[in-house]
Amino acid sequence: MGMRSHLHAFHEEHGKITEFGGFDMPLWYDGIIEEHHAVRNAAGLFDVSHMGRFRVRGEDATKFLNIIFPSDVEKIRPGRAFYSLILNGAGGIVDDTVTNKISDNEYFMVVNAANREKDLKWLLAKKSESSYSCSVEDESDSTALIALQGPLAVQISRSLCDFDLGTLKRFGFVFCAYAGEKSLVSRTGYTGEDGFEIAVLDSPVDSPDKAMNVWQRILEQGKQFGLKPCGLGARDLLRLEAGMCLYGQDIDETTTPLEASLEGIVDLRKSEPFIGRERLEAQSQEGLRRKRVAFSMIESGIPRHGYQVTIAGSVIGNVTSGTFSPIEKKGIGMAYVPPALSNIGDRFSINLRGVERGAAVSQVPFYDPTRFGYRRKPAS
Amino acid sequence: MSEPSESYDVPEGFLFTKEHEWVSSKKEDGTVLIGITDYAAKMLHDIVYVVLPSEGSTFKAGDVFGQVESVKTVSDIFMPLSGRVLKVNNGLTKTPEVISSSPYSQGWMIALSPTNLAEESKRLLDANDYRRFIEELKNTER
Repeated sequence: MGMRSHLHAFHEEHGKITEFGGFDMPLWYDGIIEEHHAVRNAAGLFDVSHMGRFRVRGEDATKFLNIIFPSDVEKIRPGRAFYSLILNGAGGIVDDTVTNKISDNEYFMVVNAANREKDLKWLLAKKSESSYSCSVEDESDSTALIALQGPLAVQISRSLCDFDLGTLKRFGFVFCAYAGEKSLVSRTGYTGEDGFEIAVLDSPVDSPDKAMNVWQRILEQGKQFGLKPCGLGARDLLRLEAGMCLYGQDIDETTTPLEASLEGIVDLRKSEPFIGRERLEAQSQEGLRRKRVAFSMIESGIPRHGYQVTIAGSVIGNVTSGTFSPIEKKGIGMAYVPPALSNIGDRFSINLRGVERGAAVSQVPFYDPTRFGYRRKPAS
Repeated sequence: MSEPSESYDVPEGFLFTKEHEWVSSKKEDGTVLIGITDYAAKMLHDIVYVVLPSEGSTFKAGDVFGQVESVKTVSDIFMPLSGRVLKVNNGLTKTPEVISSSPYSQGWMIALSPTNLAEESKRLLDANDYRRFIEELKNTER
């Protein structure tokens, strides 16, 4: 039996339970394809309370995080959330996170469920090795996290929030009352669609009524709009279609941000000697030996984690994520390949359990962004 | 998800395996049709792809002859009988959902010319036995 989130009672009654990151979570409620359809066309509701949440606070909070992250944290304006990576000394990725900058002295970090312990240990160790004055508090068990994702997320939230969430910029966040509960709401997500991640504050995991209230109120309000509760199966399909990485599959302690095609979050112009800096600088000089690409199948078949990437029968890379996209109606995935084959349109084969099938490097998101995703053109 | 009242279609006149394949009664031309059961299709939930053998390939009972894929899983399909594949339902590669909506008719996967039908069909389950088998599975799952 794994750990349980605030909303476990709902999952147990309505969902098919699976183990993820040490937690018992719903793989689906009605089915992955149905739930995927709901998120892309109306809205879906995800319990992501199993993820870790830390508060970093103190006069040196910014200085400290500027060592932890390769991004220039100082430059980020309060009220903005940002995606970044915690790096190890070899420039590899300890975890990917979305962090909300509340002020220069206070940050609210969201990390992957499987890395809760690892990340907390890491942050506390790095803090005590330094002379920075700040604290790192684990708020994972005293807050809940619910994600409302889809084109109708703003509409559904209208009567539930005392703040007009439609005015929030993408990656902006605000403190407000959601379904009457004090929350930190960010316009972020892991699906590529518009939507919100609602951190319900003062909500202990063993006394989950506030979290349950928010969950149930959204389900009630959203029903008329076609909102469905969604599980981890749909979550994984949606994030891959949107071109987003999954820690432990596409990125890990052995992949640097440069190899992982996440160089955008690395700011080598900042002066701080952030952890992993030397290795990244060296790697940009030496050149990369592999690069993460998104690819789609040209021939039929579904790529899966661990399958080999080949050219003329020789193994040249590996698939890190793979699935079937119901929108594109073909197999899609991510893989590490030689940099020479990392340009859009470049071709190689995927070894599908003994059969070689053609694939090509693709743009992300995999879907047409004028028709799906948060940048879609509004229906005329 | 608790499915105590979920019923699975188990038609009479077919034989079944514990790996959830079905075998039709013998046709006039001596062939049998083979596919996967309603229970298997429901367990997989959303079938998005199927890998089938080529016409003319031969198998022994118990061999893997293909795979059926959902979004998250790949499941092997096992031969209930030994024989030669005469026809393959290639339409399933375009519309694998048919396996879920119509597992025993339009969802047929291969037409087999069996080499040892009389002996090997004794090892298969009839509708009653298969119905009881999946009841037990449901009970142990809970």
